[in-house]
Amino acid sequence: MQAEAPVTQPDVSELDLIKRCQNGDSGAFDELVVRYRTRVFGMIYNMVHNEQDAWDLAQDSFVKAWKSIPRFRGKSSFYTWLYRIVMNVTIDWLRKKQVKAGGTEFDDNVQLREIDPASRTVPRAEALPHQRMERREVRSRIDEAIAQLSPEHRAVILMKEMEDMQYHEIAEALGCSIGTVMSRLFYARKKLQNLLKDVYENV
Amino acid sequence: MKTFEEKWTAWIDDQLTGRELEEFLASLPDRAAADAEKQSAKKLGSFLREQAVALSNVDFFSHQLRERLDRESAPARSNRDAVQTGWWTIRRLLWGSITSLAVFAVCTVVVLRERTPPSQSQYLTEILTYRVDPTVSPNATISMFQKKDDHVTVLWVEGLQSLPAEYATK
Repeated sequence: MQAEAPVTQPDVSELDLIKRCQNGDSGAFDELVVRYRTRVFGMIYNMVHNEQDAWDLAQDSFVKAWKSIPRFRGKSSFYTWLYRIVMNVTIDWLRKKQVKAGGTEFDDNVQLREIDPASRTVPRAEALPHQRMERREVRSRIDEAIAQLSPEHRAVILMKEMEDMQYHEIAEALGCSIGTVMSRLFYARKKLQNLLKDVYENV
Repeated sequence: MKTFEEKWTAWIDDQLTGRELEEFLASLPDRAAADAEKQSAKKLGSFLREQAVALSNVDFFSHQLRERLDRESAPARSNRDAVQTGWWTIRRLLWGSITSLAVFAVCTVVVLRERTPPSQSQYLTEILTYRVDPTVSPNATISMFQKKDDHVTVLWVEGLQSLPAEYATK
């Protein structure tokens, strides 16, 4: 997981930051952004497979969160609430793009940087050329496979596998039932297993 | 009641326990194949986590976001100011109109009072009607017009059959 929060701001409670944001303190919002920007970006990237689009959508999501934060009542965790915004923004964007492009949205002309789980924001040392090429191929296979899932199925499997979210958190973020989450997870896993088995079994 | 897909997912994620787990395992036609698939699903999860994408230029991301928030909140402030200014203008116009109307009404009253025509004409004419002796001239009337400023008096006599002797000019 790529949680920046405990590393960067262990002494300031999230609730305090949220209250300050609700009083118009943009500095407090900056701190929340620092905590979640990497995870939000990573999540969106895996949904849209394009670095620039992911960047823009992450920005849109945070802007929307800033505008909506006065209405945050703390019924769910801030993280789940933020993911709900992120998912709404991203799924809306994907649907519009699919309509415009007639269903094709994969973009393999991206330069990616893989993250070392132990070092959340600092890229690992440069790999050798053949390693870079291998990684790019693997990444490309993942992107192609995920692109074959519907936005909702993508969201579910990415939140579960990459963010390690609980079923109820995913359900809250997507505004659906836990049963729906589990069902989508079943089909998304099956599909990715079929599409990527040769990759992840051999890596 | 959970569907098969829900139970399968819960089983993959080790969320199925107790009697539910036993029942689910008993319902599987090929336990070995199911176990292999569970391991495969777990590998897929690990594989996806390893391929997580990092956000490069994190500071620039925050900087750009801050600029955008500032930019987007500026028009909102301007709109609020515009609304307040507009309301102030409307109120000012309203009070100006009321004051103007009041001043106009006062002036009108004063002017009208000054222009009200006097009850008497400028000639200060007094019309005096007299009747002469009814036995002598029963239908005779005498009107007298008098302009005091010019010291003029006009007598208008009608229906007089004969001039009384005492009125005769001597």
